[in-house]
Amino acid sequence: MKKKTLIWIAAFALILLAGVGLWLYLGSTGGTVAVISVDGEEVDRVDLTKVTEPYYIDIDTGNGRNIVQVSPGAIAVVYADCPDQICVHQGQLTGGGIPIVCMPHRLVIQIEGGEIDA
Amino acid sequence: MRKTKKLVFMALLTAIALTIFVIENQIPAPVPIPGVKLGLANIITLVTMLLLGKKEAGAVLLMRVVMGAMFAGSPSTLLFSAAGGLLAYLAMCLTVSRFDERQLWIVSALAALAHNAGQLGTCALVVKTPGILAYAPILAVSGVITGVFTGFAAMYLVRALRNARN
Repeated sequence: MKKKTLIWIAAFALILLAGVGLWLYLGSTGGTVAVISVDGEEVDRVDLTKVTEPYYIDIDTGNGRNIVQVSPGAIAVVYADCPDQICVHQGQLTGGGIPIVCMPHRLVIQIEGGEIDA
Repeated sequence: MRKTKKLVFMALLTAIALTIFVIENQIPAPVPIPGVKLGLANIITLVTMLLLGKKEAGAVLLMRVVMGAMFAGSPSTLLFSAAGGLLAYLAMCLTVSRFDERQLWIVSALAALAHNAGQLGTCALVVKTPGILAYAPILAVSGVITGVFTGFAAMYLVRALRNARN
């Protein structure tokens, strides 16, 4: 095999390792405050540690409808009227730096570390 | 290749790319991560570039992206696939002549990385939430894996088509 090919194999292997490592690292970073935003505008902010009873938030994003389930320590999109359903399949978010995204509706749910004011 | 023959061949490639694109859209995402997909339609872009040329590959890609959004997607998906497709195409154009045909998987992986970068960048701009850049690492991983796979697929397809034509 040519030397050039070997260099590229090494480079791609490095990307794979770094990518998986970073992904796992980001998933383990913490926080308990879920921030729901549509089109970059924050629409709701929930401290998941203060939730005692599960409840639902119905969001009309202007591009479509999403129903968000808030339960103690977790948040999930349980319904979306978009075709891909990726946000629903992403399941519960319990922490970590990786947001739930519903691309067609411009909806993002992120976990942040900070306390809620007031 | 004669002009008419080339036109017919390009139309055929566009139809094949479009069919692959539409069928791939019907397959449920293998992992629940936004943006991760096989990108099988890029096989056709690569094959067109090798068999016909860069300009022709650009034309086939453009037609596939526009018609793909009409058949399978929505206006919002058009923006993402156009941004991704354009960057992937540029990456292919810049690298394809630097590698021989057996190294097509390298070209393809680089194109897939460029595609995912373009798509994620557009997404971050559209939702105005930089937080979704947290997907960059996993999209890089998926780009390398799917790019290598589609690159090998394209290489074998190019060989088969060359043999068929002779």
